[in-house]
Amino acid sequence: MEPETADRALLERKVRRAFQVLVLQRGRNPGVKGWEMRRHLGREYRKIIEVLSEDVAPMGLEVFEVKGPDGTDDSSRFLLRFKEPPTISEAETSGIRIDDLAVLAASIAFVNSKSGRVSRREVEQFLREKFPKWRVDYSMDRYVKRGYLDQDDKGMLHIGWRTRAEVDEKTLMTLILSRAQEAAKK
Amino acid sequence: MEQTKLDDYLRVIELCRDVETSSANPFDVDIREKILLLKQRLPELKFLDELLVDSEAMLELAQIVKLQDQWLKQRASALYIDPLLIQLKLKLLPKETLSEAFVKSWHPIAQVDQLSSRGLERAFVYWRELTPMSERFKNQFGTYGIVPGVVDYSDLVSLGVFTAEEFELGLTRLYDELLQKSNGEWLDYRQFIEGESYGTKVRRAYLLAFLISEGRALLKTEPLIGKIWTKALAERVKGTPKSVAISITGDS
Repeated sequence: MEPETADRALLERKVRRAFQVLVLQRGRNPGVKGWEMRRHLGREYRKIIEVLSEDVAPMGLEVFEVKGPDGTDDSSRFLLRFKEPPTISEAETSGIRIDDLAVLAASIAFVNSKSGRVSRREVEQFLREKFPKWRVDYSMDRYVKRGYLDQDDKGMLHIGWRTRAEVDEKTLMTLILSRAQEAAKK
Repeated sequence: MEQTKLDDYLRVIELCRDVETSSANPFDVDIREKILLLKQRLPELKFLDELLVDSEAMLELAQIVKLQDQWLKQRASALYIDPLLIQLKLKLLPKETLSEAFVKSWHPIAQVDQLSSRGLERAFVYWRELTPMSERFKNQFGTYGIVPGVVDYSDLVSLGVFTAEEFELGLTRLYDELLQKSNGEWLDYRQFIEGESYGTKVRRAYLLAFLISEGRALLKTEPLIGKIWTKALAERVKGTPKSVAISITGDS
């Protein structure tokens, strides 16, 4: 086999491996840490991920990196996610209720406005002005459990890893502000 | 340790904890001033307990520095918007628009959920240790696996809520009252069952349900306006009865 063909075969094998590693859930949470990627794909794993991201783009997917708390490559989490947001009807067919999404959107915006850290009681009090109590309690527990919000031992809420991975927070905040202006004009 | 000396430390610890457990600005704590205070007090400390309080205060101050770092990063990230402004906007927006904003900024994770040997093992352990249904709620509710059911007339008699005579008498009285009040016209069901207490109201509703089931009274519902009507019949009618669920609350 010629060296060039051998290199290409090796690259293809590694890209395939990267896809398998990303798509299969290993631990409790989805995604693969940087150090795991290095172990599976070698030191040049970022290049493999770039190639994979281009390969999955026609299917509407992308490889997304969520920076870890210390900002190092090893602590980053890599995930396979939708490149473009779904439509409202697609989101509805996945079994998610509009009310639940509204609670989540309001919670994320509220936590961000409080410098990313606010007591759960304060968030619940605010949400109860708009949503029924039972829905607020149920949704908050669910979103903490699923990783959209993070609750520490002092009862403070932070933005969770899943929000960092799935939600374009800047777009969300911009849309909330602009839509509110439109609603006020009406 | 003297109380005054201890007070300074406790005040620092308390202040730090208050900031940590609220959304207060961590820059409200003057770290430099507090560290100078601790430094000033340090030579007076002699015992291990005192030194431990000092280290606890230092740890709390370190937590505040960490919060200050996060606070600055958040403010600089362009995600920060005045809390009052965002609260106002969130209150203003309908739920549909909020969820639409979320969906438009949402990139769900694509993933395959598969059964692993570890998951299989966990499921097996869970199933093995799962208490049978009949035993599961025994401690909380004291039941012995009896499924929820319907309390019928004989149950009420056996529980002493009614005696057979009282029940018959109650039915006859209620029938006479309904016959007299309705006089062939439809009566508002809720007004009719209203009693001086919630217990009386439930009792009247229960007896009326019997009259309706026996064909001695009729029930008519208008779901669109939420009204329910009833009237007594001079003669008992026969037919296939339909079941209607009506909730009886204490306030209506």
